[in-house]
Amino acid sequence: MEMLVCIKQVPDDSVEISLDLGTKEPALIGVTPVVNAFDTYALEMAARLKETFGGEITVVSVGNDEVKNSLKNCLAVGADHAYLVKHEKSESLDPCGIANILKKAVHDIEGELETKFDLILCGKESTDYASSQVGLLLASKLRLPVATNIIKVEPMDGIMRIKQETEEGYRSIEAKTPCVVTVQKPDYDPRYPTIKSKMAARKKEIKELSPSEEVSSMLEVIRVFEPAKRVAGIKLKADNEQEVVAQAMSVMTAAKVF
Amino acid sequence: MSHSDAKNIMVYVETVSDTPLNGGLEILTKAHKLAAARGEEVIAVLIGSNLEHAANTAIMAGADKVILVTKDNYEMEVYEAILTRLAEKYKPSLILSAGTLVGKDILPLVAGNLTTGCAVDVMEITDKDGNFVFTCPVYGGTVLNDLVIKGTPAVAAVRSGAFEKELVVERTGEIIKEQVGVENTVRAKIVEVVNEMAETVNLEEAQVIVSGGRGMGNKENFRLVEELALACHGVVGATRPAIEAEWVPRSHQVGQSGKIVAPKLYIACGISGATQHVSGMIGSGYIVAVNKDEDAPIFDIADVGIVGDVVKVVPLLIEEIKKIQSL
Ligand SMILES: Cc1cc2nc3c(=O)[nH]c(=O)nc-3n(C[C@H](O)[C@H](O)[C@H](O)COP(=O)(O)OP(=O)(O)OC[C@H]3O[C@@H](n4cnc5c(N)ncnc54)[C@H](O)[C@@H]3O)c2cc1C
Ligand SMILES: Nc1ncnc2c1ncn2[C@@H]1O[C@H](COP(=O)(O)O)[C@@H](O)[C@H]1O
Repeated sequence: MEMLVCIKQVPDDSVEISLDLGTKEPALIGVTPVVNAFDTYALEMAARLKETFGGEITVVSVGNDEVKNSLKNCLAVGADHAYLVKHEKSESLDPCGIANILKKAVHDIEGELETKFDLILCGKESTDYASSQVGLLLASKLRLPVATNIIKVEPMDGIMRIKQETEEGYRSIEAKTPCVVTVQKPDYDPRYPTIKSKMAARKKEIKELSPSEEVSSMLEVIRVFEPAKRVAGIKLKADNEQEVVAQAMSVMTAAKVF
Repeated sequence: MSHSDAKNIMVYVETVSDTPLNGGLEILTKAHKLAAARGEEVIAVLIGSNLEHAANTAIMAGADKVILVTKDNYEMEVYEAILTRLAEKYKPSLILSAGTLVGKDILPLVAGNLTTGCAVDVMEITDKDGNFVFTCPVYGGTVLNDLVIKGTPAVAAVRSGAFEKELVVERTGEIIKEQVGVENTVRAKIVEVVNEMAETVNLEEAQVIVSGGRGMGNKENFRLVEELALACHGVVGATRPAIEAEWVPRSHQVGQSGKIVAPKLYIACGISGATQHVSGMIGSGYIVAVNKDEDAPIFDIADVGIVGDVVKVVPLLIEEIKKIQSL
């Protein structure tokens, strides 16, 4: 099974990003760039599919040269080929713009590798802008079936059987191959690279593609600001629990919480 | 679509078992205020069957017109096509929906079909000189963006709990039945729908939520969270690790990939206060946190922080609260 995983590089999501009060921009200096968490889940899902059904995994990202590092990391955890669509200001693109570029990339990569993708995996959303639209729009532009929020996908008798997580449970979806899925956190974690796989990845080349013609963004940010901060209240410590709970109860009853 | 002839606000209201979901009704109330100030109307769109009662509820919540489209089953591509057709016919300046799985699936596609843009996770909508401004969280909610959509109509999926619903029984409105012919476009077919949740959890509307995290230690201890919730007449919430450990079903998750909640009282037990969790509960009225680590970030946002072991503190809290409740 031939798979393509769309990778977005984002600032480390375990770091709390605040607003730089000088520049009025999010303070991103010093925050490690990482592969979007949901894309790591998508890549792990693809790696497991490859183990069962064979085939190859290609990763693609739209971004600047810095993204090569993230793509190297993908090569160390299961990807066979990596492509970077060079774009210096990919942050300024809206989801539709990214989807347009990815659409062209899909055709370009299929041409170069002389293959056809059976499955295109995206993350359910990016952890920085969380627009959760790129996968849907890419599918729509490629005129392919799409299922979002998926936790499982399996090829069977020429179709894809998909498990989509819903608020109440799940849906089983059948889609024609090829199709696009957007991946939610499954009940497993992405694998770590080994020293050996890192070495092998270092030797692999990251191929570059040029983007398609630009369409202007439909979304314009007019103000960046911080949410109203909550002020920390009181922190209660005591030698024993009885005492600290008694103190807490008196604060809460005074505040008419109960 | 040209800007000049676009007006009115179209709201897709999702229904389950012929009943409109709260998210859609909350948006209708907000849309009513926005539209009234512009001298425009709110057009609700309901798709399903037996929707007459739901249509009346939509009118009470703020719809001036309700468009009913009969369809038996949900299919994303069919709903997307219907909403696109209706948008082409009625030419609204704004299309809204709740940010449920369905809303977040169809709205970006509708926006794509109409060559315009879509904002998601919207927390606030303001009308600035005739342009809609949407407030959206970025970086897990630590930074907010105000954005405008340059295409027409503007399309936006709203986060749960962003607006308050007001049902006014006296309101009147017009119900319109539309037949929308869509070709059989379904490429991804839903073959089975499984409802795994034994109980319905209504975190969004809860006044009190008691949540447990990894610090609860094990499934048995997690029962303390449930007991405390019971004592406070509240609903049980949880962090992702507590869900992954299967101490509590997924429908209880609070946070970026769970529910966004805003109860009057939120009690966090054994929760560190990671951004992805906090962004889902920062809107709570009063926050109480129990954590044994006095440097836990949750204390930075708590009104009352109790430094201590949950296994000892929570039973005492239950006892004290029961005493108060029985007065
Ligand atoms: C893309 C993405 C989306 C995510 N979405 C969500 C989401 O929607 N919701 C969510 O919750 N998380 C989400 N997460 C996970 C999130 O980043 C955190 O890992 C998670 O919230 C931490 O949960 P926790 O506080 O229960 O566990 P931990 O961070 O491990 O904290 C446990 C806390 O318990 C305390 N503790 C331990 N033992 C005791 C004791 N005996 N008594 C008192 N205190 C004790 C510890 O001091 C610690 O502070 C997401 C992560 C990613 C990457
Ligand atoms: N610049 C990008 N390059 C490649 N894939 C991307 C890019 N941006 C978004 N994606 C993919 O689209 C998914 C959803 O992103 P978003 O719609 O921005 O929330 C991500 O998880 C990626 O799989």
